[in-house]
Amino acid sequence: MIRFEHVGLRYGIGPEVLSDINITLAPGSFHFLTGPSGAGKTSLMNLMYLGRMPTRGLVTMFGQNINKMKRQDMVAIRQRIGVVFQDFRLLNHMSTFDNVALPLRIAGKPEKEIQNNVRELLEWVGLGEHMNVLPNTMSGGQQQRIAIARAVVTRPRLLLADEPTGNLDDEIGERLLGLFEQLNRMGTTLVIATHNQMLMDKFPHPRLILSKGHLTIEESKFNLRKKLEGLF
Amino acid sequence: MKVIPLHKKEKTLGKVYGKRRYDLPLNNNANSRFLVILIGLMSFLATLGLSAFFTLGAMSQRWISGLENNLTLEIPAETSEGRLLSLDEMNNLTQAAASILTSYPDVARYNVMDREEIQNLVEPWLGKGALSADSFPLPGLISIKVKDQASRQSVESLAKKIEDTIPGARLDTHESWLKDVLRFTNALRFSTTVLLTVIAVTTVIAVAGAVNASLSAHHTDVELLHLMGAADSYISRQFQRHALLLGLAGSAAGAMIGLLGVTAIDWLAGEMEIYTSPQQYTSLPQTIGTAMVPAVIALLAMATARQTVLHELAKMP
Ligand SMILES: Nc1ncnc2c1ncn2[C@@H]1O[C@H](COP(=O)(O)OP(=O)(O)OP(=O)(O)O)[C@@H](O)[C@H]1O
Ligand SMILES: [Mg+2]
Repeated sequence: MIRFEHVGLRYGIGPEVLSDINITLAPGSFHFLTGPSGAGKTSLMNLMYLGRMPTRGLVTMFGQNINKMKRQDMVAIRQRIGVVFQDFRLLNHMSTFDNVALPLRIAGKPEKEIQNNVRELLEWVGLGEHMNVLPNTMSGGQQQRIAIARAVVTRPRLLLADEPTGNLDDEIGERLLGLFEQLNRMGTTLVIATHNQMLMDKFPHPRLILSKGHLTIEESKFNLRKKLEGLF
Repeated sequence: MKVIPLHKKEKTLGKVYGKRRYDLPLNNNANSRFLVILIGLMSFLATLGLSAFFTLGAMSQRWISGLENNLTLEIPAETSEGRLLSLDEMNNLTQAAASILTSYPDVARYNVMDREEIQNLVEPWLGKGALSADSFPLPGLISIKVKDQASRQSVESLAKKIEDTIPGARLDTHESWLKDVLRFTNALRFSTTVLLTVIAVTTVIAVAGAVNASLSAHHTDVELLHLMGAADSYISRQFQRHALLLGLAGSAAGAMIGLLGVTAIDWLAGEMEIYTSPQQYTSLPQTIGTAMVPAVIALLAMATARQTVLHELAKMP
């Protein structure tokens, strides 16, 4: 699904914010991405959703080398990726409903299907009463839920969520992580950037740990235990 | 938590404009108004320029066809030494010329102008009755119509024969005068072509500027659409549609005012008895050309918007 080989990224002439990243994320996998503020989590996600090109190294997405990809193939790949941006990036001139419907409309889905899916999803994330409200009149947590709904409404093959629970209380946070788990069971690959230790402990997924631009992988204790059990 | 429902107006800004859906609030800035006014002015000028172009063409065409095959034979009323000819002598010379013309196969018809006709001819300049006294002889004037197939050589040999027979007689083909007038009208027509080009270029620059401003105002939103997998054409279509609608609104109004202006100029010209352009809009190309001004300008605006947006999007990976 995602393969980084010796990938580096720098902004302009600044220092490398990511250096020599090597990872392979299998289809259907679920990873947390963690690390201190400024470590480069958002930057790494940026590479994954094709928002930027790496300054060095090889990035392979959906089996294709992104440096050799045609522009229209990139469009097709982006439509298969759902992104929850750290700063939400909602369109403040259109309603909650239209914000969530946007990826479906871009993908050219029929309006009837859009109406049903979006309504249902907004009910589910608890925003059923706010469908016709402009996002910037809502609380941070509500906006975050809009952003999450918009990212998952297309049932993406890959979901990248940057601090998706930062503004949510633990209960809603867990509920939304349950949604992510459900998507994962249906085949979606997930990478979730988070600082929330409680969530990471509760959901046993391997962690990608970024520190000063370098990446290490840590299997979750749960998985380690399972592996150990398998050994004996 | 306050629930603020979307007002109708806000809906039109973001989502609907007419029946079309916009993902970007393109209609939401003063840029649009500026562009409509500018495009209106441009199409106003284009309408004037275009009708000047056609009018000049029609004018020179009319002059050419009016003077084609027409010659004027002038017999001076005095000898080369400056002695005035008597009326009898004038009559003799006129008779001689007439008999040459009669015998000449390429001459379709001719008309020896009598005193009264000549008087009518000069009346606008000299006033009524200026030549009424029979006291002095007038130069003889014979207007000649040659046949359509008459060649240039044939006309030249006629001129030579007459000049040989009648001292001082001059056969005027109007050619040199016509040449000057045509050179003049062609220069004017060229100027209007330059004007139309300048109008087109100005429109392109203004639209490109406005679209660029709009793109940078909505940069994060445009980038978001791009990251969500919107194809370049999906994004540019919204700007195109917007530019097309603004262009149509502006150019239709501008062209309308332009047509009123042309009609007013026509009317004024008629009042002032400057008969430069009777039946302005009878020629088909002119009608079509003028009717197409708004469409052409609006399409130009649309194409410019498209190119500008695609150029910007190409900078995103
Ligand atoms: N657009 C940019 N231009 C220049 N430098 C940038 C840009 N975005 C990020 N950086 C720099 O890259 C580094 C990593 O930033 P990044 O946003 O990826 O960190 P992060 O791990 O997501 O932090 P946080 O947990 O606070 O969100 C920082 O030093 C930041 O200053
Ligand atoms: Mg970040």
